[in-house]
Amino acid sequence: MLDKEKLRKADVFSGAAFFLFGLWVVSQAFRMPMRDSWGGVMNVWYVSPALMPLFIGGVMMLLGAMLCRIGLKTVGFEIFKGTLRWLASPDLLRVLKSDVSVRFYAIAVLFLTLVFVNLPRVDFFLCAVLFLSVFITMFYFLNDSLLQKFLRFYLAGEAVFIVFFAFGLHSPTDETPSYAADVLALAFIIAYLVYVWMKTRSQAELRKKFRIGLIVALTTPFVIGPIFKYFLMVPLPKEGLVVAALDYVWYLEFL
Amino acid sequence: MSFFDSLVVYGQSLMEVVSDPVHVLILFGSVLLGIIFGALPGLTSTLGVALLTAVTYSMDAPTAMVCLLSIYVGGTYGGSYSSILINIPGTAASAATALDGYPLALKGQAGRTIGLSTSASAVGTIISMLFLVTVSPIILHFALQFTSFEFFLLAFFGILISGTLTTPDLVIKGWISGFLGLFLAMVGRDRLQFFPRFTFGFPDLDGGIEVVPVLIGAFGIPQIIQVLKDRVEVGEMQKLQRIIPEFGTIVRNIPKIIRSALIGVGVGVVPGIGEDIAAWVSYGAAKNTSKNPENFGKGEITAVLSTEVANNACVGGAIIPLLNLGIPGSPPAAMLLGALMLHGVNPGPMITFEHPKFIIECAAILLLASMAMWVVGMTLAKQVVKVLRIPAPLFMPIVGLLCIIGSYSLGLDITNLYLMIPVGIICYFLTEMGYPIAPLVIGVILGPMADENLRRALMVSQGTFWPVFTRPVSLSLVLIIIWLVLVQVPAVKTFKNRMVDRIFSALRKKSKSTPNRPEA
Repeated sequence: MLDKEKLRKADVFSGAAFFLFGLWVVSQAFRMPMRDSWGGVMNVWYVSPALMPLFIGGVMMLLGAMLCRIGLKTVGFEIFKGTLRWLASPDLLRVLKSDVSVRFYAIAVLFLTLVFVNLPRVDFFLCAVLFLSVFITMFYFLNDSLLQKFLRFYLAGEAVFIVFFAFGLHSPTDETPSYAADVLALAFIIAYLVYVWMKTRSQAELRKKFRIGLIVALTTPFVIGPIFKYFLMVPLPKEGLVVAALDYVWYLEFL
Repeated sequence: MSFFDSLVVYGQSLMEVVSDPVHVLILFGSVLLGIIFGALPGLTSTLGVALLTAVTYSMDAPTAMVCLLSIYVGGTYGGSYSSILINIPGTAASAATALDGYPLALKGQAGRTIGLSTSASAVGTIISMLFLVTVSPIILHFALQFTSFEFFLLAFFGILISGTLTTPDLVIKGWISGFLGLFLAMVGRDRLQFFPRFTFGFPDLDGGIEVVPVLIGAFGIPQIIQVLKDRVEVGEMQKLQRIIPEFGTIVRNIPKIIRSALIGVGVGVVPGIGEDIAAWVSYGAAKNTSKNPENFGKGEITAVLSTEVANNACVGGAIIPLLNLGIPGSPPAAMLLGALMLHGVNPGPMITFEHPKFIIECAAILLLASMAMWVVGMTLAKQVVKVLRIPAPLFMPIVGLLCIIGSYSLGLDITNLYLMIPVGIICYFLTEMGYPIAPLVIGVILGPMADENLRRALMVSQGTFWPVFTRPVSLSLVLIIIWLVLVQVPAVKTFKNRMVDRIFSALRKKSKSTPNRPEA
């Protein structure tokens, strides 16, 4: 949590944001049927679906305004003006580029790309190996400069993925399932791991951590995935190359 | 159900679990997993229950309860390991244990302290289990007379009290968090008229927001971000000697145990506030009533006893309103509610009609879970504490992956993940700005209950709120809600504190002025 003074400054902004949010909720609630007929039912205010949203929106506006007022009263207008000036200054960029902020971006980017880009289109096992190998190597080495380099490499790779998927190149074109996306993911994983190896091979401590991280990143999906797929019977989000190979082995299709 | 029938059902439930090797394996495995989740800083019993909910989806309800209650009990206890050995609470529930547990470990008494914490936790859980079976029929008797107004006011009270007591900063933030949760519960088609609210034309949102993935996101993602962003490091771990059960200490401190258990159950019954508050209140009570309060914070064994009894007694306490009213008493109980709904069990007053044996079965599972926890704690503590050496950058990404696959597996809908990640990131920012997450979770869970019951109540009363003032329970709840809100106003708070001071000083004056009786 932020310290007390920063908290109060943040309260002014969050209070204002919640006030506006409450206002939006109330405006949406007024579009809901309050007196007219809906689905053959004649509405009155106490049956209307707008009742709770109006209540929630109204209370949010009140609480947001109170929070804003408390923040301004505690901090004072002069200091708050100073905060506004700081937000418009280059110091803000310095904070946004700080090591702590970059760590946050790295985690957020990893989760967002996994869920919105990779999981719906790439084999689950490959997604999991990519996610874990990138996540572990970014944070296990406890080195922010390496973290930034790995993040840039990862973002470049995801940019390639996004272009690939945007052009529809991952969709199968005939009866045979296309594993183009899976092959691309596999190539990305190998390229990333080679890049990490090149950046860390000169230091014994980092080499050891890389080995441990690699083992964890490669084995964990092959423990979790089969538990969900074959024991809990949960179809995975995307079943591609690796799942086809595992099915071949699991169901003894070679016999 | 008569007392004798309840005993028979209790015995049958115990035998059903104990006689099936699979159930025994699930019991011990879940307790062990819960202890590991509790011991590792950054993981919580709430997250453990959430992740295991996905795994238990294909099980029947009683087996799922064995799994989930065991991990809940184990997780609440497991936090004491890291509190005692490395002075970092594994869970918020064991933060108070660190105050005296770690100094005891520094004196070379880590084994004795962990043994005491294990026995105390088991005793606390068993006492709360007794409350569950004795208090439930009484609550159910009253709850069956509740109408829609009472249920709406109970839901609203739950959100308000959770916001008031769990906020680390201003109370207003707790209330905002609760109302944000209420808003999330409004997304989707309303249950009475099927009108789409806040769906923005997306058919995937018509069914509303899935509760369990949102809860996983709200609890899991902020923890992962915080631990890795702040590079939380585990300090040097104290040496763990032989674990001693400390039965003698337990027997010598029975009055303290009963007091701590009552505090734990009492706090657990209040919606949304959880084990950490129970532990702190119990610690405060133990210190205030101790003959040597100056020893607290320096390695006082009864402090550890009080906190561990209270936080585990809170487990049973939190389940009382969960099963009888459908209102969770703590964040892990909120996860349990989501899990129960997935298994087709709707907690509330009707549970005795739809599933007459369910509460007794849960009580039997609590007893077995506490015994399993004691056995695992006594025999495997030395091995389990080795997990504390695993660096966070290795296990947190795995937890992240489990959150993703766990959320997806409930409903097999990737939309759950599309909601889970943004909710998780927003909750992270809210946590950084001092907004508690527990009221948001309570709001999401109780929102539909509040909405439906308010409109139903007004339909019956033709738009008037008059029945609120004519029904005793409704009136009491309204007065408590008004008091909760008014007491936050500075002028009212000052007036209240002044009145309380005046009353106490008058009582003190009266006791000093009473002359001593002459001896015979």
